[in-house]
Amino acid sequence: MGEMVMKMFDRDNFVCPSSGSRKAGLVSFACLVFLYVITAFTFMNALYCFSDCVGSTVAGSADIALRDAMRSVPVFLSFGVTLGGLMICQAFFRNESPDILAKKAKKHAVITVAIGAFVILYTVAMRFAGRYLSLTEGAPSPFYPLDAMLYALLFIAGGVCVLLYFKKYAGSKPYNGPSRPLARGKAGFFRNLFVTLWFLFGLYGFCGFFYSIFIVDFSHGYLPYTLASMFASLVTFLSFAVWELCYNALKPEKRGGAMLRVSLVCLGVSVMSAVFYFVALKFNLDGPSNVGFGLLPVAFSASVNFATMISVFTPLIASVAGLLRSLSLKKRG
Amino acid sequence: MRKEALCVLLALAVLLAAAAGCSAPRKSSEHLDDYVFTLKYRDNFNILQLTDIHWNANTSATASKSYMDKLLKETADHITATQGEGSKIDLVELTGDMFMLTNTYHVKTFIDYFEEKAEEYGFVYTAIWGNHDRQGLYNPNWLGRMFAKAPHCIYFEPDDDVYGRSNFVINLTEDGTKSTKAVWMIANLDSGASFSETEFYPFRDYDYIRPDQTEWFLAEHAAAGDDVPAIAYYHIPQDENEKAWVDVTEKAADYKNKFFKLEGFADNGSEKYASDFIDRAKDHGLVAAFMGHAHNVDWTVEYEGVVIGLGVKTGEELYFAHVDASSDDSAVRAGLESTGIDENFDLIGASLVTLTGSDGSFELEHLYFNERTGGDFVRWVKW
Repeated sequence: MGEMVMKMFDRDNFVCPSSGSRKAGLVSFACLVFLYVITAFTFMNALYCFSDCVGSTVAGSADIALRDAMRSVPVFLSFGVTLGGLMICQAFFRNESPDILAKKAKKHAVITVAIGAFVILYTVAMRFAGRYLSLTEGAPSPFYPLDAMLYALLFIAGGVCVLLYFKKYAGSKPYNGPSRPLARGKAGFFRNLFVTLWFLFGLYGFCGFFYSIFIVDFSHGYLPYTLASMFASLVTFLSFAVWELCYNALKPEKRGGAMLRVSLVCLGVSVMSAVFYFVALKFNLDGPSNVGFGLLPVAFSASVNFATMISVFTPLIASVAGLLRSLSLKKRG
Repeated sequence: MRKEALCVLLALAVLLAAAAGCSAPRKSSEHLDDYVFTLKYRDNFNILQLTDIHWNANTSATASKSYMDKLLKETADHITATQGEGSKIDLVELTGDMFMLTNTYHVKTFIDYFEEKAEEYGFVYTAIWGNHDRQGLYNPNWLGRMFAKAPHCIYFEPDDDVYGRSNFVINLTEDGTKSTKAVWMIANLDSGASFSETEFYPFRDYDYIRPDQTEWFLAEHAAAGDDVPAIAYYHIPQDENEKAWVDVTEKAADYKNKFFKLEGFADNGSEKYASDFIDRAKDHGLVAAFMGHAHNVDWTVEYEGVVIGLGVKTGEELYFAHVDASSDDSAVRAGLESTGIDENFDLIGASLVTLTGSDGSFELEHLYFNERTGGDFVRWVKW
């Protein structure tokens, strides 16, 4: 087990092993982690605003949902610009061929700049229209929507820097690692859909674990449920992170053997997390809504435990899918 | 491998020690006096119920405060006009769902606002847990502490054996201290949020007032005096609302009833989880119970000697009903006829209870208050 973990983190097994690009690889990895964290927070903010709009719509007040959604457009788009930044970073981290890197990074930079510019224009227009009573009207932060404008400005600057970089240095840097084949057709569509959902659930798991440190209630006899809920969120995040950051960054020839081992470990941990969760829930049946209700934004009323299901079942599904794929690859030789 | 196993065992031991170290909740029956706050009673003691304010991540605190500014001023002016100078809002009952999907910024802004208004109008206020108040990016314990330390807020959250985070009573006494007898009792109960029936049940049911909460209330009431009239405030309607509604609409029961019921009560709805609170408390001084939760309902009924009603939803957050005066819908028509309103309006505002005597008599008025550019819509409707 220890040996396997060491192998997983041995940079010689990764796609950018040469001394020149290793530094760049580590820098892009650090940026990727940083942006992932920021993306997770902006995602949770957007999810909060979105869930409230869903609540209004379901309760028959679509007009209130629309009013609120219009007010929170900068919140939703802050998630968008951060995601753009994350995608740019991921393109660098993947260390693909120069033309693919340039194509992907420039595409995401243009999208980021466009969304950022829209946030600024939208906010100014809403202020002039009197929909924002001031630029520091407040909520969800004290300086909203001004802070959203400044945040967008930061990402516009970042996007412009990336575009300038490719204008000046495109092709001169040795980003010449292997490129993954692009999935096309129906299979590509479903693969992208699955990965996107998995990515969002991973963000949700990260936020769930991070926020739970501060917001869940360890008192009132809820300790077992609290710990189980935190563990489930962490496993949801890790199930994504392990595959995306570690497995996908391995050289193609190393992946085949790693997949089965990673799947088996993930499956074991996921089963443990699910069992722990359900046992804890048995003793705290009101736990989800009394301890960590803040972690379940979509569950705006007493209905289906969507969020809980996501936390508990995502890692299980991901590891079973990985296991089936590795067994199928093994069978095909 | 041995080292790894040792680490896991050590971590488990630390967790178990932490769990075991948590002190057992204290027995409420041995500390009944701790749950009692007191205020000075006088005839025409005014209790303003604000419910389901629902500040959320999308809420403009500036706009919402502007609405409540006007609402409080209207109420204060109405009290002065109907009861004379010197009368005021004495107590504001915030009956749950003050927040939903929000963060510490909103909570702090909200409490600062009520502190400012309490100073301005001379009232104190209480915070009662709704199902959504737990649903934010803050620890529920932190929210409780914020209310507990707010100078004008009456709030109590013990780690006890009574279900819910916060159950307490306000005894209105002759001199405002515990040394004189209670004239009225105001009970504040946490009706919970929701729960799963089993660990594998994918849905959640709304919570209800549990038998141990009823026992606690009865003990507090006995301590205050068996003849003391009581009003209970909580968030989620209990089974009596629906029973009374069925009696009135399907069995033509001749109960006094008024106001609007434009959606379900959103109560637990299962006989298995029917609360015994009103059933038992009605024989121990309970004269009225007011709650919130269902925004499109402020229907009030006198059922088995207890006036049971939902407060008018306060403010424009999340959802509320636009009442169309030309509607053919029987529920809308019944509400319009009972209130005498003949124009379109939104079902938002507040509810005012005035304690008129120590014999358990009180008056109830619903305020429908809508901000409008050409002049605000204001209607006071008496029960």
